[in-house]
Amino acid sequence: MPELSRRDALRMTAGMAVLGTLGLTGCGRENATTAAKASARPVDDSPATGTVSVWAAQGDANVLDKVIKPFRAANPDATVTFTLIPNAEYYTKLQSAIAAGKGPDLAQFFPESQAQFLDPSTLRPVPEGLVAPDDFFTSLWDAGVVGGVAYTVPWYAYTYALVYRSDLARKAGVEAPTTWGATVPFLKALQGAGATRGLGADIGWDVFNGQDVAMYAWQAGGSLVSSAGRWTLNTPAMVDALEYNASFFTSKAADTGGPAFLDAQPYFVSGKTAAMITGPWVIGQLDTAAGKSGWTASHVATAPLPAGASGRVSFAAGGSWGVPADSGNADAAWKLVRYLTRPSSQVAQYRAYSSLPAVASAWNDPAIKGQPLLDAYFTQLKSTRAFPRVGTWQQVATRLGKEMEAVAKGRQSAAKAAANIQAYAESVGTGTK
Amino acid sequence: MTTTLAPATRETTATTKAAPRTAARTRRTAVAWLFLAPFTLLFLLYTAIPAVAALGFSLTDLRGADLRTPLAVNFTGLDNYLRLFQDDSFLRDIGNTALFVAAGVPLTMGVGFTLALALDSGIQRLRGALRTVFFAPVVTNVVAAALIWQYAFHPDGTVNQALAAVGLAGPNWLDDPDLAMPVVVLLGVWRNFGTAMVLFLAGLQAIPRDVYEAAALDGAGRWRQLRYITLPLLLPTTLMVSVLLTVFYLQVFDEPYLLTDGGPLGSTESVALYTYHQFGAGQFGMSSAASFVMLVLVAVVSVVQFRLLRSRT
Repeated sequence: MPELSRRDALRMTAGMAVLGTLGLTGCGRENATTAAKASARPVDDSPATGTVSVWAAQGDANVLDKVIKPFRAANPDATVTFTLIPNAEYYTKLQSAIAAGKGPDLAQFFPESQAQFLDPSTLRPVPEGLVAPDDFFTSLWDAGVVGGVAYTVPWYAYTYALVYRSDLARKAGVEAPTTWGATVPFLKALQGAGATRGLGADIGWDVFNGQDVAMYAWQAGGSLVSSAGRWTLNTPAMVDALEYNASFFTSKAADTGGPAFLDAQPYFVSGKTAAMITGPWVIGQLDTAAGKSGWTASHVATAPLPAGASGRVSFAAGGSWGVPADSGNADAAWKLVRYLTRPSSQVAQYRAYSSLPAVASAWNDPAIKGQPLLDAYFTQLKSTRAFPRVGTWQQVATRLGKEMEAVAKGRQSAAKAAANIQAYAESVGTGTK
Repeated sequence: MTTTLAPATRETTATTKAAPRTAARTRRTAVAWLFLAPFTLLFLLYTAIPAVAALGFSLTDLRGADLRTPLAVNFTGLDNYLRLFQDDSFLRDIGNTALFVAAGVPLTMGVGFTLALALDSGIQRLRGALRTVFFAPVVTNVVAAALIWQYAFHPDGTVNQALAAVGLAGPNWLDDPDLAMPVVVLLGVWRNFGTAMVLFLAGLQAIPRDVYEAAALDGAGRWRQLRYITLPLLLPTTLMVSVLLTVFYLQVFDEPYLLTDGGPLGSTESVALYTYHQFGAGQFGMSSAASFVMLVLVAVVSVVQFRLLRSRT
């Protein structure tokens, strides 16, 4: 074997890199807007047949095998197989499988982060007449719609509300705040009643914090993306949102040092913190954290989020279903989706895992209606918005979370943070080239 | 006749002798390649080809969403590199990485060398046990180690409890941009001083004892022996350890990722972590460019150090 000189080796390396690059760029980018909006065949009422492979993230999907028992009985010629994947790795594995053409027949998505998949090359449009869009909370349905085409069907729902220590509020003689202006005084009052901090704020400074500030920006009257599809993050509303979030820390109602994620509930139960802005799953976990059944009912209350200048809007989140474009049994997959979104199935899912229904009428079931701590979430769900349906939203929200940290710690002005996040968002675009 | 036949005869003889020698050499080469094949294959598959591919990707606008249509990316030339050096975060992370090297290398070497010296000269009977104890952090799972450190430096953790016992109020170590970096560096030092210690110990034990005896007879005390015998003779080991540690700290990832994820306010984000975060954000082009910059950085520093090593030894 001839010995390569250093120059030969360099030439070979450069050559391979250029060839690799040319190989990648050779075909050019097909303009996504020219992709045909395939219209899916309507799904009839006949029993489903064949095998439906379902991929879902561990969590709410853990109980699906049990929930779909009636579906199996009614569709004896259909076989449903589940693959549950750890939450943190779910999208990575799903994306890789879909890219390789080896995706499932039916896949779970998350309305708050599914924008990157909403494309005819990835997902099949939801067949006309499969479900009634009006049955769902509006923003949850909207989260799956791009260019007038729906790609996903909502499955379960959640949003954020204010969860606070009712015992401390009673002691302080204060009511849950309904406006931004009343929020910090309320939290300080809870502190005065014995809590170390009024608010156990999320201090991960990540995508979830970015979502929080996006929500506050909506409450302040802002939008995140213009109707022309351009980022609108450097706005007075965004500055207000960043300052509102920072006010929790600068007023000392919250601590930038914690509680960290796993400490949140023990801190709340022990009185180190007296309120949280969080999802409904927390309610079912507080008795466990307290080690006492019935503790939550006597110590906790919930309220819709305090309203900013433009109202109390929050974000829509939860789970949804989509059928990959390569699905080999789309007909049966859609039939399963239709089953899962029936009010009775939604209630069965709630009973099995406390997943809150995405179908509004299912909230009237006594199993859910009899839970007073869920009322605030139901009220809030009626006033939610979908995050921008652009492929880079998760990146932008993550960066937003990092910018928030500097504002909350007094290292940067809200105006500078808003300018930074706008510049970053413009640099990454909206995912379309 | 003689003059014409003689070279021909010699040539013939040489040819007949060379044939089996060449065959043997070929066989040896084939066997060598056979043994090298598994490594070569893995190296090509997991190192060389990805490195070349990364160089290619760094010249494109490849993003996460493009995984579905990997052939449809745009060639952007050096755009990613220009953006990288206009990104304040990246420049800050280069500074952080330099700080990891500047603080981590001498500290790790200092602790490793001191312990090696103690084990080599003083505590003969306990040498084996102590060597195991000091080497334990090297073989401890880094995730477990990071969890222990996170607990220790938690606002209510053992470090602050110890401070409270002597009447001092402990800070929130990992939330303070000025304190987080020292904690992360200390974790790196804790995980690596064992390696440095073992290498130094091997170096110390290779120094002939009679050199010390001769020096002692000439009246050299412990300090002069250390200054004029140990340190000069240990130079090759010292340089090797410094190269290893420099490369490690230049690529430091586990410690800042597990302890702080680069925070607070990016104060502990290394270049490797920046690369990872860009990748996680779907910015594959930028991530590849950052990884290539790191490759060049590590290569340059390593070459400089190796040259130094060669000239000094």
